[in-house]
Amino acid sequence: MADAGTPPGWSVNPSSWLQRLPIIALALAGAAIALYLALYQWGVLAWVWEPFFGDGAVRILDSWVSKVLPVPDAALGTAGYLLDAVTGVVGGRARWRTMPWIVVLFGLAVGPLGAVSVFLVVLQPVLFDAWCTLCLASAVVSIAMIGPALDEVLASLQHLARVRRAGGDVWRAFWGRGPRVDRAPARTA
Amino acid sequence: MGARVVSAAAGIWLMVAPAVLSYDGTARTIDRILGPLAASAAIVAMWEVVRGVRWIAAAVGAALVVAPWLLDYPLTPAVNSLAIGGLLVVLGAVRGRVSQRYGGGWSALVRRPGDRPGGTS
Repeated sequence: MADAGTPPGWSVNPSSWLQRLPIIALALAGAAIALYLALYQWGVLAWVWEPFFGDGAVRILDSWVSKVLPVPDAALGTAGYLLDAVTGVVGGRARWRTMPWIVVLFGLAVGPLGAVSVFLVVLQPVLFDAWCTLCLASAVVSIAMIGPALDEVLASLQHLARVRRAGGDVWRAFWGRGPRVDRAPARTA
Repeated sequence: MGARVVSAAAGIWLMVAPAVLSYDGTARTIDRILGPLAASAAIVAMWEVVRGVRWIAAAVGAALVVAPWLLDYPLTPAVNSLAIGGLLVVLGAVRGRVSQRYGGGWSALVRRPGDRPGGTS
Protein backbone atom coordinates (compact mmCIF):
# COMPACT_ATOMS: atom_id res chain seq x y z
CA MET A 1 0.00 0.00 0.00
CA ALA A 2 1.75 3.10 -1.21
CA ASP A 3 0.97 6.55 0.20
CA ALA A 4 2.45 10.03 -0.01
CA GLY A 5 4.99 9.20 2.69
CA THR A 6 6.41 6.12 0.97
CA PRO A 7 10.22 6.42 0.58
CA PRO A 8 11.69 6.36 -2.94
CA GLY A 9 12.13 2.79 -4.17
CA TRP A 10 9.88 1.38 -1.45
CA SER A 11 6.57 -0.42 -1.91
CA VAL A 12 5.44 0.31 1.67
CA ASN A 13 5.68 3.29 3.99
CA PRO A 14 7.48 2.08 7.13
CA SER A 15 6.29 5.14 9.08
CA SER A 16 2.58 4.54 8.43
CA TRP A 17 0.45 3.95 11.50
CA LEU A 18 -0.48 0.51 10.17
CA GLN A 19 3.21 -0.38 10.45
CA ARG A 20 3.87 1.38 13.76
CA LEU A 21 0.82 0.61 15.88
CA PRO A 22 1.59 -3.12 16.31
CA ILE A 23 5.10 -2.24 17.53
CA ILE A 24 3.68 0.30 19.99
CA ALA A 25 1.18 -2.32 21.22
CA LEU A 26 4.02 -4.83 21.71
CA ALA A 27 6.05 -2.21 23.61
CA LEU A 28 3.14 -1.50 25.96
CA ALA A 29 2.58 -5.23 26.53
CA GLY A 30 6.29 -5.61 27.31
CA ALA A 31 6.13 -2.64 29.69
CA ALA A 32 3.16 -4.22 31.52
CA ILE A 33 4.98 -7.55 31.97
CA ALA A 34 8.22 -5.88 33.06
CA LEU A 35 6.40 -3.58 35.49
CA TYR A 36 4.67 -6.57 37.09
CA LEU A 37 8.03 -8.30 37.56
CA ALA A 38 9.61 -5.09 38.88
CA LEU A 39 6.84 -4.74 41.49
CA TYR A 40 7.83 -8.18 42.78
CA GLN A 41 11.51 -7.24 42.80
CA TRP A 42 10.76 -4.04 44.71
CA GLY A 43 8.84 -6.06 47.31
CA VAL A 44 5.48 -4.47 46.50
CA LEU A 45 4.15 -7.89 45.46
CA ALA A 46 5.02 -10.86 47.69
CA TRP A 47 4.26 -13.41 44.96
CA VAL A 48 4.81 -13.75 41.22
CA TRP A 49 2.80 -15.80 38.70
CA GLU A 50 4.75 -18.85 37.45
CA PRO A 51 2.65 -21.58 35.78
CA PHE A 52 5.39 -23.89 34.46
CA PHE A 53 8.72 -23.76 36.25
CA GLY A 54 7.91 -24.02 39.98
CA ASP A 55 10.22 -21.70 41.91
CA GLY A 56 12.05 -20.79 38.67
CA ALA A 57 10.64 -17.28 38.41
CA VAL A 58 11.52 -16.48 42.03
CA ARG A 59 15.04 -17.85 41.64
CA ILE A 60 15.59 -15.75 38.51
CA LEU A 61 13.99 -12.58 39.85
CA ASP A 62 15.88 -12.79 43.18
CA SER A 63 19.21 -13.75 41.57
CA TRP A 64 22.34 -11.64 41.93
CA VAL A 65 22.17 -10.74 38.22
CA SER A 66 18.92 -8.88 38.80
CA LYS A 67 20.66 -6.83 41.53
CA VAL A 68 23.83 -5.90 39.64
CA LEU A 69 22.50 -2.39 39.07
CA PRO A 70 21.03 0.03 41.62
CA VAL A 71 17.51 -0.61 40.31
CA PRO A 72 16.04 -4.09 39.61
CA ASP A 73 16.57 -5.29 36.05
CA ALA A 74 12.82 -5.51 35.39
CA ALA A 75 12.50 -1.81 36.30
CA LEU A 76 15.09 -1.00 33.65
CA GLY A 77 13.17 -3.21 31.24
CA THR A 78 9.99 -1.26 31.98
CA ALA A 79 11.79 2.00 31.23
CA GLY A 80 13.18 0.49 28.01
CA TYR A 81 9.74 -0.61 26.79
CA LEU A 82 8.25 2.79 27.61
CA LEU A 83 11.06 4.47 25.65
CA ASP A 84 10.22 2.13 22.74
CA ALA A 85 6.54 3.11 22.95
CA VAL A 86 7.21 6.87 23.19
CA THR A 87 9.76 6.92 20.35
CA GLY A 88 7.35 4.75 18.37
CA VAL A 89 4.49 7.24 18.76
CA VAL A 90 6.29 10.55 18.16
CA GLY A 91 6.16 11.91 14.62
CA GLY A 92 3.89 11.69 11.61
CA ARG A 93 3.49 9.38 8.66
CA ALA A 94 6.67 10.59 6.95
CA ARG A 95 8.85 10.77 10.05
CA TRP A 96 11.55 8.62 8.43
CA ARG A 97 12.28 11.83 6.47
CA THR A 98 10.95 14.60 8.68
CA MET A 99 12.40 13.31 12.00
CA PRO A 100 15.29 10.89 11.35
CA TRP A 101 16.60 11.53 14.88
CA ILE A 102 13.52 10.04 16.53
CA VAL A 103 13.57 7.04 14.17
CA VAL A 104 17.24 6.39 14.94
CA LEU A 105 16.56 6.78 18.67
CA PHE A 106 13.66 4.33 18.26
CA GLY A 107 15.98 1.82 16.58
CA LEU A 108 18.63 2.30 19.29
CA ALA A 109 15.96 1.69 21.94
CA VAL A 110 14.49 -1.41 20.30
CA GLY A 111 17.70 -3.11 19.14
CA PRO A 112 19.75 -3.20 22.38
CA LEU A 113 16.67 -4.02 24.46
CA GLY A 114 16.20 -7.10 22.29
CA ALA A 115 19.89 -8.02 22.56
CA VAL A 116 19.80 -7.70 26.36
CA SER A 117 16.67 -9.89 26.42
CA VAL A 118 18.44 -12.68 24.50
CA PHE A 119 21.39 -12.39 26.88
CA LEU A 120 19.14 -12.70 29.93
CA VAL A 121 17.33 -15.71 28.41
CA VAL A 122 20.70 -17.44 28.05
CA LEU A 123 21.70 -16.59 31.63
CA GLN A 124 18.55 -18.09 33.19
CA PRO A 125 19.38 -21.77 32.62
CA VAL A 126 23.16 -21.47 32.31
CA LEU A 127 23.78 -19.68 35.63
CA PHE A 128 20.71 -20.64 37.67
CA ASP A 129 19.35 -23.81 36.03
CA ALA A 130 15.92 -22.18 36.11
CA TRP A 131 13.38 -20.61 33.77
CA CYS A 132 10.94 -17.79 34.36
CA THR A 133 7.80 -17.79 32.18
CA LEU A 134 7.09 -14.06 32.25
CA CYS A 135 10.78 -13.22 31.71
CA LEU A 136 10.69 -15.42 28.59
CA ALA A 137 7.44 -13.76 27.45
CA SER A 138 9.06 -10.35 27.86
CA ALA A 139 12.04 -11.52 25.81
CA VAL A 140 9.79 -12.78 23.00
CA VAL A 141 8.05 -9.39 22.91
CA SER A 142 11.30 -7.45 22.62
CA ILE A 143 12.73 -9.79 19.96
CA ALA A 144 9.51 -9.59 17.92
CA MET A 145 9.84 -5.77 17.86
CA ILE A 146 13.27 -5.73 16.21
CA GLY A 147 12.31 -6.71 12.65
CA PRO A 148 9.32 -4.39 12.21
CA ALA A 149 11.18 -1.47 13.84
CA LEU A 150 14.30 -1.65 11.69
CA ASP A 151 12.54 -1.02 8.36
CA GLU A 152 11.91 2.55 9.45
CA VAL A 153 15.53 2.94 10.55
CA LEU A 154 16.63 1.74 7.09
CA ALA A 155 14.38 4.31 5.39
CA SER A 156 15.86 7.11 7.54
CA LEU A 157 19.45 6.00 6.89
CA GLN A 158 18.76 5.78 3.14
CA HIS A 159 17.31 9.30 3.30
CA LEU A 160 20.46 10.61 5.04
CA ALA A 161 22.66 8.77 2.51
CA ARG A 162 20.74 10.45 -0.34
CA VAL A 163 21.21 13.86 1.28
CA ARG A 164 24.94 13.20 1.61
CA ARG A 165 25.29 12.10 -2.02
CA ALA A 166 23.36 15.16 -3.15
CA GLY A 167 25.87 17.30 -1.26
CA GLY A 168 23.34 18.30 1.40
CA ASP A 169 23.85 18.92 5.11
CA VAL A 170 23.40 15.49 6.75
CA TRP A 171 23.39 16.97 10.26
CA ARG A 172 20.51 19.30 9.42
CA ALA A 173 18.66 16.47 7.69
CA PHE A 174 19.16 14.25 10.76
CA TRP A 175 17.25 16.82 12.83
CA GLY A 176 14.65 17.16 10.10
CA ARG A 177 15.64 20.69 9.12
CA GLY A 178 17.30 20.01 5.79
CA PRO A 179 15.80 20.63 2.40
CA ARG A 180 13.72 17.78 1.08
CA VAL A 181 15.56 15.32 -1.15
CA ASP A 182 12.92 12.94 -2.34
CA ARG A 183 14.55 11.60 -5.43
CA ALA A 184 17.75 9.65 -5.89
CA PRO A 185 20.48 11.80 -7.46
CA ALA A 186 21.08 11.44 -11.19
CA ARG A 187 23.28 8.50 -12.10
CA THR A 188 26.84 9.60 -12.76
CA ALA A 189 28.10 6.33 -14.21
CA MET B 1 8.67 -17.56 6.42
CA GLY B 2 8.27 -21.33 6.71
CA ALA B 3 12.04 -21.76 6.99
CA ARG B 4 12.14 -19.15 9.75
CA VAL B 5 9.30 -20.78 11.72
CA VAL B 6 11.00 -24.19 11.60
CA SER B 7 14.35 -22.61 12.55
CA ALA B 8 12.77 -20.85 15.55
CA ALA B 9 11.16 -24.14 16.61
CA ALA B 10 14.55 -25.87 16.29
CA GLY B 11 16.11 -23.24 18.56
CA ILE B 12 13.35 -23.65 21.15
CA TRP B 13 13.78 -27.44 20.93
CA LEU B 14 17.45 -26.99 21.87
CA MET B 15 16.36 -25.11 24.99
CA VAL B 16 14.16 -28.00 26.19
CA ALA B 17 16.17 -30.92 24.71
CA PRO B 18 18.50 -31.36 27.74
CA ALA B 19 15.43 -31.93 29.95
CA VAL B 20 13.56 -34.11 27.43
CA LEU B 21 16.53 -36.28 26.38
CA SER B 22 18.16 -36.12 29.86
CA TYR B 23 21.70 -35.00 29.20
CA ASP B 24 23.84 -32.51 31.09
CA GLY B 25 27.39 -31.19 31.16
CA THR B 26 28.96 -29.28 28.27
CA ALA B 27 26.35 -30.34 25.71
CA ARG B 28 23.54 -29.00 27.88
CA THR B 29 25.29 -25.66 28.41
CA ILE B 30 26.06 -25.26 24.70
CA ASP B 31 22.47 -26.05 23.69
CA ARG B 32 21.07 -23.64 26.27
CA ILE B 33 23.25 -20.88 24.84
CA LEU B 34 22.91 -21.59 21.11
CA GLY B 35 19.19 -22.50 21.27
CA PRO B 36 17.98 -19.01 22.28
CA LEU B 37 20.43 -17.42 19.82
CA ALA B 38 19.10 -19.49 16.90
CA ALA B 39 15.46 -18.92 17.87
CA SER B 40 15.98 -15.17 18.26
CA ALA B 41 17.82 -14.81 14.95
CA ALA B 42 15.10 -16.82 13.18
CA ILE B 43 12.32 -14.69 14.69
CA VAL B 44 14.06 -11.42 13.70
CA ALA B 45 14.69 -12.75 10.15
CA MET B 46 10.95 -13.38 9.68
CA TRP B 47 10.72 -9.73 8.61
CA GLU B 48 11.80 -9.21 5.00
CA VAL B 49 13.78 -6.05 5.66
CA VAL B 50 16.17 -7.90 8.01
CA ARG B 51 16.05 -11.25 6.21
CA GLY B 52 19.88 -11.24 6.18
CA VAL B 53 19.82 -12.08 9.90
CA ARG B 54 19.03 -15.66 8.77
CA TRP B 55 22.80 -16.06 8.30
CA ILE B 56 23.25 -15.72 12.08
CA ALA B 57 20.93 -18.71 12.54
CA ALA B 58 22.95 -20.57 9.90
CA ALA B 59 26.20 -19.73 11.74
CA VAL B 60 24.71 -21.06 14.98
CA GLY B 61 23.82 -24.23 13.03
CA ALA B 62 27.42 -24.56 11.84
CA ALA B 63 28.63 -24.23 15.44
CA LEU B 64 26.22 -27.00 16.47
CA VAL B 65 27.57 -29.28 13.73
CA VAL B 66 31.17 -28.67 14.83
CA ALA B 67 30.66 -28.76 18.62
CA PRO B 68 30.29 -32.56 19.12
CA TRP B 69 33.60 -33.14 17.31
CA LEU B 70 35.53 -30.64 19.43
CA LEU B 71 33.90 -31.16 22.83
CA ASP B 72 33.12 -34.18 24.93
CA TYR B 73 29.58 -35.08 23.79
CA PRO B 74 27.74 -38.29 24.70
CA LEU B 75 25.95 -39.99 21.80
CA THR B 76 22.41 -38.60 22.26
CA PRO B 77 23.28 -34.88 22.43
CA ALA B 78 25.85 -35.40 19.66
CA VAL B 79 23.23 -36.78 17.27
CA ASN B 80 20.79 -34.05 18.30
CA SER B 81 23.41 -31.34 17.77
CA LEU B 82 24.37 -32.62 14.32
CA ALA B 83 20.75 -32.98 13.18
CA ILE B 84 19.54 -29.59 14.49
CA GLY B 85 22.75 -27.87 13.36
CA GLY B 86 22.47 -29.28 9.85
CA LEU B 87 18.82 -28.26 9.70
CA LEU B 88 19.65 -24.68 10.77
CA VAL B 89 22.41 -24.37 8.16
CA VAL B 90 20.14 -25.57 5.35
CA LEU B 91 17.18 -23.41 6.42
CA GLY B 92 19.44 -20.39 6.94
CA ALA B 93 20.57 -20.69 3.32
CA VAL B 94 16.92 -20.45 2.17
CA ARG B 95 16.16 -16.82 1.35
CA GLY B 96 12.41 -17.24 1.20
CA ARG B 97 9.89 -14.90 -0.37
CA VAL B 98 10.62 -11.16 -0.34
CA SER B 99 7.52 -9.48 -1.73
CA GLN B 100 8.13 -5.82 -0.91
CA ARG B 101 10.73 -3.34 -2.16
CA TYR B 102 12.96 -1.48 0.33
CA GLY B 103 14.83 1.06 -1.78
CA GLY B 104 17.75 -1.32 -2.35
CA GLY B 105 17.92 -2.48 1.27
CA TRP B 106 20.87 -2.08 3.64
CA SER B 107 23.41 -2.41 0.81
CA ALA B 108 22.05 0.86 -0.62
CA LEU B 109 23.70 2.62 2.33
CA VAL B 110 27.20 1.67 1.21
CA ARG B 111 26.54 1.49 -2.54
CA ARG B 112 27.88 4.32 -4.58
CA PRO B 113 25.52 6.03 -7.03
CA GLY B 114 25.75 4.25 -10.35
CA ASP B 115 26.17 0.78 -8.90
CA ARG B 116 23.43 -1.69 -9.67
CA PRO B 117 20.79 -1.58 -6.97
CA GLY B 118 20.67 -4.68 -4.84
CA GLY B 119 17.89 -6.13 -2.73
CA THR B 120 17.72 -7.23 0.87
CA SER B 121 19.49 -10.51 1.37
